[in-house]
Amino acid sequence: MPFYEENPKEIKKADLVVGIPSCNEAESIGYTVEQASKGIRQYFSSLDSVLVNCDNNSTDGTKDVFFSAPGDVPRIYLSTPPGTSGKGSNLRNLYEKARDLQAKVVVVVEADIKNISPHWIRNLAEPVLKGAGYVCPLYLRHKYEATLTSSVVYPLMRCLYGRRVRQPNVGDFGFTGKLLDSFLNSPLWTESVQLYGVDIWMTTIALNSRLPICQAVMGVPKIHRVKDPYAHLSVLFQQVVRTIFDQMAIYSNFWLQVRWSKPTSLFGTDSHEVETPLPVEVNVNQLYERFLQGFDKYQGMWERMYDQTICPKIQEIRSLGLQHFSFPTQTWARIIFDAANAYHRMGEPERATLLDSLLPLYLGKVLSFVKKTERMSLQQAEEYIENECTVFEENKPYLAKIWE
Amino acid sequence: MSKILVVDDEEHIRLLYSEELKEAGYEVTTADSGYKLLERIEEEKPDLVVLDIKMVDYNGLDLLQDIRNRFYDLPVILSTAYDTFKEDTKSIAADFYVVKSFDLTELKKKIGMALETRLPS
Repeated sequence: MPFYEENPKEIKKADLVVGIPSCNEAESIGYTVEQASKGIRQYFSSLDSVLVNCDNNSTDGTKDVFFSAPGDVPRIYLSTPPGTSGKGSNLRNLYEKARDLQAKVVVVVEADIKNISPHWIRNLAEPVLKGAGYVCPLYLRHKYEATLTSSVVYPLMRCLYGRRVRQPNVGDFGFTGKLLDSFLNSPLWTESVQLYGVDIWMTTIALNSRLPICQAVMGVPKIHRVKDPYAHLSVLFQQVVRTIFDQMAIYSNFWLQVRWSKPTSLFGTDSHEVETPLPVEVNVNQLYERFLQGFDKYQGMWERMYDQTICPKIQEIRSLGLQHFSFPTQTWARIIFDAANAYHRMGEPERATLLDSLLPLYLGKVLSFVKKTERMSLQQAEEYIENECTVFEENKPYLAKIWE
Repeated sequence: MSKILVVDDEEHIRLLYSEELKEAGYEVTTADSGYKLLERIEEEKPDLVVLDIKMVDYNGLDLLQDIRNRFYDLPVILSTAYDTFKEDTKSIAADFYVVKSFDLTELKKKIGMALETRLPS
């Protein structure tokens, strides 16, 4: 249960709960609250609704801004105790509150989105009212935005769980109240899940629930506070990949039965004009250097961990140099599968090193993607990623074999 | 025997697909438009639909949305003369797409993959 709660209107029941996780978001949460309120009033005026700010005990006045922002939708403020951080911890409080409120639909939107508008709430909630179990948004993204998703998360999740969810860890979701027990009763609740891993953890649970999944076309990019993509890369990579690997052990009975993949339903395909994604700069020299640095530090580990055909391949990739750099998808899929299998079999102290050793290889794969797609349009780059996913799916029998 | 419903407003395509897919061991029915397509699917319960994108009176991508909303896991393969449709986000609700050709090797391969796809129920 939350450490602290303020429920001034004494709300005891709500059909629609819109949750806004936060940690020191006083500057931005007011706009999110205002837009979410408008969305609720514009599209769901017949539902009993509530806005819930699930906070990390912010000290910058987030709570005051949350309560004073324009809009007439009732509000509840929840907080973790001082010293407890992470979006996952906030969301756990939200799940418990939404269950108490007997919510039929729960929507989560991040507090720092600069371009959120009322239709976002509609796109995330309406598919659930029409029968979907879980809704992931499809934001407009530049081909070099969210490369962890394009290179690891999407192809791996798709080949494991058989559903083509393009942005499975984007941070905003809609889901049925039926999933709240699945989230609260999950056997996995690690530090990674409490932090960056929570988004992919939720999607994995939803995929395993067998409820219909929907992707909501947002038609716009998601613009939030400017972040340096490399500042938290190592931590983000560790926590997201660790969470996927941890859940592979829990859901192996499911994913071992999956062959190929299927699309999801879509929502919002007609409603908006499509904008242009924001440009993303990539420093190829930095990617190349970090790939090379991996050899000094992790070559021994790679030799122990990967199938004997992989290390000569990695050496071959290195020998190509920056100009001709290319990382074959088949090799990348095998590396991810071998890493997942090794992670499954090793003790905790070694797991962190394994994930660290995977990071330079991931950066090499990103470099290869950038070079292959530099002249491609967004749509062509998407097709390239789709083909990479097919390679993962084709190689899945290898994963099943080594896992069992 | 798996049942395939071919939806195309060009008669020669319906004939070609029908003959070759029957030869490949499938049971095939055809429709010349999207008229009452959902009702037909409900009645005939095909295992897979091959759907033309551009028909005179129907937009295959809109029909695809309707199919996906009502028959969530029914495999649909889009069949098209041009691949410009990929610019439309709606196309990602299809299992696969093929460019129309007299050589049906690719279509048969995609049908095989779509019918082999397995998710725990």
